[in-house]
Amino acid sequence: MSGSDPIIRSKSLSKSYGKVRALREVDLDIPSGVTGLIGANGAGKTTLLRILLGLIRPTAGQAEVFGIPVSENPAGLRARIGYMPENKCLPPDQTAADFVTYAAELAGIPSVDARRRASETLFLVGLEEERFRFLGDYSTGMQQRVKLAQSIVHDPELVLLDEPASGLDPSGREGMLRLISRFRDYGINVLFSSHILDDIERTCDWVVMLNEGRLVHSEPLSNAVAGNRIYVEVFGDPQPLIHELSDRGVTTGLDGSVINLSGLGDDPFRLLQDALVRSGSSVRKMGTGLSRLEDVLESAARSDRG
Amino acid sequence: MSAIIKEGFRRVLGFRRKARFKVFPWFLVALALASVVILVSIAWVGSGLDGNETVDDLIPRYAGYFDFISVVALLFAAYAGPQLLVPDRVHGVLNVYFSRPLTVTDYLVAKVAAYATVIYSFWLVPQILLHLGFAALSPDGFFVYMRETTDVLWKVPLAATVYFGLQAALIFLAASFIDRIGAASSAFLAGLLGLNLVAVFFNEATTAPGARWATLVALEQHPRYIRDWIFGRSSEVVIPAQAGFGPEASLAVIIGVVAVSVGLVWRRYRRLA
Repeated sequence: MSGSDPIIRSKSLSKSYGKVRALREVDLDIPSGVTGLIGANGAGKTTLLRILLGLIRPTAGQAEVFGIPVSENPAGLRARIGYMPENKCLPPDQTAADFVTYAAELAGIPSVDARRRASETLFLVGLEEERFRFLGDYSTGMQQRVKLAQSIVHDPELVLLDEPASGLDPSGREGMLRLISRFRDYGINVLFSSHILDDIERTCDWVVMLNEGRLVHSEPLSNAVAGNRIYVEVFGDPQPLIHELSDRGVTTGLDGSVINLSGLGDDPFRLLQDALVRSGSSVRKMGTGLSRLEDVLESAARSDRG
Repeated sequence: MSAIIKEGFRRVLGFRRKARFKVFPWFLVALALASVVILVSIAWVGSGLDGNETVDDLIPRYAGYFDFISVVALLFAAYAGPQLLVPDRVHGVLNVYFSRPLTVTDYLVAKVAAYATVIYSFWLVPQILLHLGFAALSPDGFFVYMRETTDVLWKVPLAATVYFGLQAALIFLAASFIDRIGAASSAFLAGLLGLNLVAVFFNEATTAPGARWATLVALEQHPRYIRDWIFGRSSEVVIPAQAGFGPEASLAVIIGVVAVSVGLVWRRYRRLA
């Protein structure tokens, strides 16, 4: 596998639970780096992560990690992957040091090395002082850090993080995102799921968006949030201006009294000026802005609803 | 897998846990060891008395020790099994296990091995101490006694294996489907003792067709019957023997219970993984 090859690839990946279709024909190519997997609750994020780990089998299609089909050798692949589950996974009657050591041993690391690595990893996540406390006595933020530590203690090439910032207060969330960003420096690839758009925008190089099991986007974050957006608000009825713009092939969206415009071509202001003159509308307010992931996701949800 | 075995051993005995997790298992271990000290002490006192043979006959040796310690051993078995399976499931630790290069089979085999380690230790360490104690007190001398009793070196572990097989099958079944440690232990104990009562009823209080076969539900009795078979002892008090079954029937029941339990537990964990 060369450096430019995608680390995760899927072809027509589908998964159904009875009548519920969790994933529908997902075709993915995810490069190395930090990737955000975004979608509303129930979009299929956890299902995708569990398929990549080989914990569940897809109903149709195929997934590959590091160029190896997951179905071929799931246990072998898991040795190279770390996983931080969204739900609780910590035994309250063990200390963090013991648990992370145990997690390393489960990945096949000899006992002495496992203890050393556990210490280093707990230091990395900022729990070196508290590592001999029982996990049941930890706060939610500390527990999330232990979950993160167990996912990287065996030095994986890829970590799958399922809602790592879930349940954290703002400062805990900030700390968690900073940690995830640092994985880039250690050469660890990350695929982390979240329904909090801001987390993805601040941390990731690449973004995968799922909506109701369908792939909406898989592209660099810069593409997903780029593309100048122009908004305009006019005095009186906005419909004549919308008609004029639509006739010129411009995509419009009405948000209250504000018209959002995209697809304006190379000279957007000339085009808008013409449309304003022809519709006889007067501008009340006008401006530009970067479209955010939220807009893209909302627009995908709208188009899904038809 | 060795990590799971080691961690399982620690968990059952409360190592690296808070003090309250150590109290019950070590109380049972202390009872088992104390019983050895008491038995060897009685043998030592008896060896200096007239009519030594009478005292000797009263002391449970090897096969008899299984009965002597049976209640404590059953409590230990009931305590250990759920400790190995229930917390992993209830606290979501299975998510961590199965994100590692482990399969469901690896996990369950390792848990059974951990259970075997603690249960065999519980059965065999006192038996070894007992054997050494009796050898030391033997009027023929230590080495002569050891040489003349080499058969116990395979009979005791074999009998312990039979007890282990049945108890492991039943406690793993309970601990796989019940999400509370105490409830799983209670279900195991109540099941074993309750089925004994059912078997006694069918053996003694009814002449209904098939009543004889119903006595085979006395699961707790089957390892005793096979143990007696191994040691060549008479088994008149064992319910299946009273109902006219041979020890082969008991062996078949144990194998059947183990097979059903393995299937159900594996299926349960396959779904959980």
